[in-house]
Amino acid sequence: MDWTTFIQLTVNGLTLGSVYALIALGYSMVYGILKLLNFAHGEVFMVGAFIGWGVLNLLGGAVDPRVPVWLLITLMTAAAMLGAGLLGVVIERFAYRPLRNAPRIAPLISALGVSFFLQNSVLILYGANFKTYDTFTLVDPFSGIQLGGVNVWIIRIVVFVSAIAMMLGLFALVRYSRLGKAMRATSFDREAASMMGIDVDKVIVKTFFIGSALAGAAGVLVGLVFGQINHFMGFNYGLKGFTAAVIGGIGSIPGAMFGGLFIGLAEAYSAGYISSVFQDLIVFSLLVVVLLVRPSGLFGRATIQKV
Amino acid sequence: MQEKPGLKKLAAGVAVALVGALALTAGAVAKVSGPASPSASSAELARAQANCRSAEIGVAAPLTGPAAFLGQEQLSWAQFAVRQFNQSRRTNFRLVQGDTQLSASLARTVARQFVGRRNIMGVVGPSTSQAVISGAGLFEAASLAAVSPSATRIDLTNGQFRTFFRVVPNDSGQARSIVAYSVDTIKATRAVVVDSQDDYSTALAAGLQSAFRARNVQVDRESVSNTTTDFSTIATRVSADAQVVVFATQTPAAAQALSDQLLSQGKRAVVFGTDGAFSPDEFKPRNGFVSGFAPDIKASRTARSLVAAYNRFSRNRTFGTFGPPAYMSATVLMTAINAACRDGRATRAEVTRFVRITRLASILGGTIRFTARGDLTDPDWFVFKVTNGTYETVG
Repeated sequence: MDWTTFIQLTVNGLTLGSVYALIALGYSMVYGILKLLNFAHGEVFMVGAFIGWGVLNLLGGAVDPRVPVWLLITLMTAAAMLGAGLLGVVIERFAYRPLRNAPRIAPLISALGVSFFLQNSVLILYGANFKTYDTFTLVDPFSGIQLGGVNVWIIRIVVFVSAIAMMLGLFALVRYSRLGKAMRATSFDREAASMMGIDVDKVIVKTFFIGSALAGAAGVLVGLVFGQINHFMGFNYGLKGFTAAVIGGIGSIPGAMFGGLFIGLAEAYSAGYISSVFQDLIVFSLLVVVLLVRPSGLFGRATIQKV
Repeated sequence: MQEKPGLKKLAAGVAVALVGALALTAGAVAKVSGPASPSASSAELARAQANCRSAEIGVAAPLTGPAAFLGQEQLSWAQFAVRQFNQSRRTNFRLVQGDTQLSASLARTVARQFVGRRNIMGVVGPSTSQAVISGAGLFEAASLAAVSPSATRIDLTNGQFRTFFRVVPNDSGQARSIVAYSVDTIKATRAVVVDSQDDYSTALAAGLQSAFRARNVQVDRESVSNTTTDFSTIATRVSADAQVVVFATQTPAAAQALSDQLLSQGKRAVVFGTDGAFSPDEFKPRNGFVSGFAPDIKASRTARSLVAAYNRFSRNRTFGTFGPPAYMSATVLMTAINAACRDGRATRAEVTRFVRITRLASILGGTIRFTARGDLTDPDWFVFKVTNGTYETVG
């Protein structure tokens, strides 16, 4: 294999990885605060992709858009983030909050139920056929930059840069803002945070909104870069995003970011240098190896349990 | 003492009701206390008569999921066929839908349901080869004829499923026709064959690979899951000097995505989709090819009135090459059931016998006749050139 192939695979891996990272952030944030595996998160991502597609068609479609392309993509992403964020809030309010003090298996089952509900709702609303963003009509496939003999398509650059910007924004929010401080306090000890005057319910709602909004944005980015969306896409991407969160250390924001990029690159290199038949095998083997060496993930902290 | 007339009527009503109730009870008791089981022949006769009065036809197709485009098209054409047949022959056939998606286990569940539903006298489908492999054994055990409008894997008609038939040619012809076109017209000297890791595509890809080798074309083999949406790495693996990438898939959107990724990476190879990729709505590359087991009847003069009738029926729903064969599958079955019902009763085995001796003019051209193993006697494959979503028959 030559350098051109290596660069192309790296570009592929970073694009895919940044999407996984955005999804992983949602899993990680919710788990950090509620200790809940939100298995409906993949479906929120899928709904985001459909909202973006809806906005695209509303504004004239890829063939004849009524607004400039940059504005169209911004509007699609913003609408998907808002819609997915609100959906996350609704899911939290009706599927998880009533079960907050129930045994841990109950919200898990509820999450799976929400996942099937969303998948089938989209199937009924939009039908079973694949929907296309037609990005290659919207943006010239030859536009972009030349990198070591490889043409890096402008949409791939947009996807990677915007994903990294959103991740850094989230990191800054959690690290430096009051809301971030409240999130960290709630994650550390929900009861103590409540006694310190933090409105835990509000913090949880905002966490769901932010995590789901990032998933919605990821849905649009996937539609843009790969062109096709369908009602069952949430399962695969959700699974990979969850794996990324676990590898990075579930509950850790930098861990989710790193995990996503790690999984994306691992997938691209294994498919490119070995075989695409084995790419999932390799990715999940890596998960097993990481968990054997560091059970709390690469960036996770080992928890001490009182016995 | 004089009785009131109203009371008299009431008494008479009660008496009639009592007599009726007694008669019903006596009947029920007789049924329970009669012979342990009614004679088999009378039950079979009643069943066979019921089969003709309210015959149903199952449609086993991917109605949802990644191949829903083809299942929905087939269902729509099967419905159209049933309506036309019922109107012209004054019959009362009904369709029963079974969604197999692209899942072998769902296909088996659908097959079980169809076998268990006694009014089903034949099956349109299963649509995909893996669904046939999963369900045809059950159909055979129940002597239920299954006439597929799109399953093309070669070994489905090697004698293993004796009640399976298809109104489309098998993949041996498809591999030959794709390779012949690639070598003779596209002048390919290097090709890539991609399968999508299912029964249909792996068998077809193997056939394509050996057919290319037989024509001295350098051929690489790739494989990708049928749930993948990211084809960028497969595109990266395609050699820069390959002229054609033959993608054996049942998901046209996947063929489109692969074509897009090749274009964006500056690869000159064109995507040649197999029959499963035939969908003007979803596979519409700037430049590509697709293979089809049926001609595009929209362009056929002889089918003009039928197409117009279908457009009225479906309210101008678009269709490709998957629907018309389903029309023929349904017509083959209804004709066979009608023939079997001439004496007022029919069994599944009888219907299968009549399917086997079908001789029916096809809307796809020619006559539908089956070989002893259920294949068409005169199969033909077609090649379509795709330019920005426009399909043109070129071979």
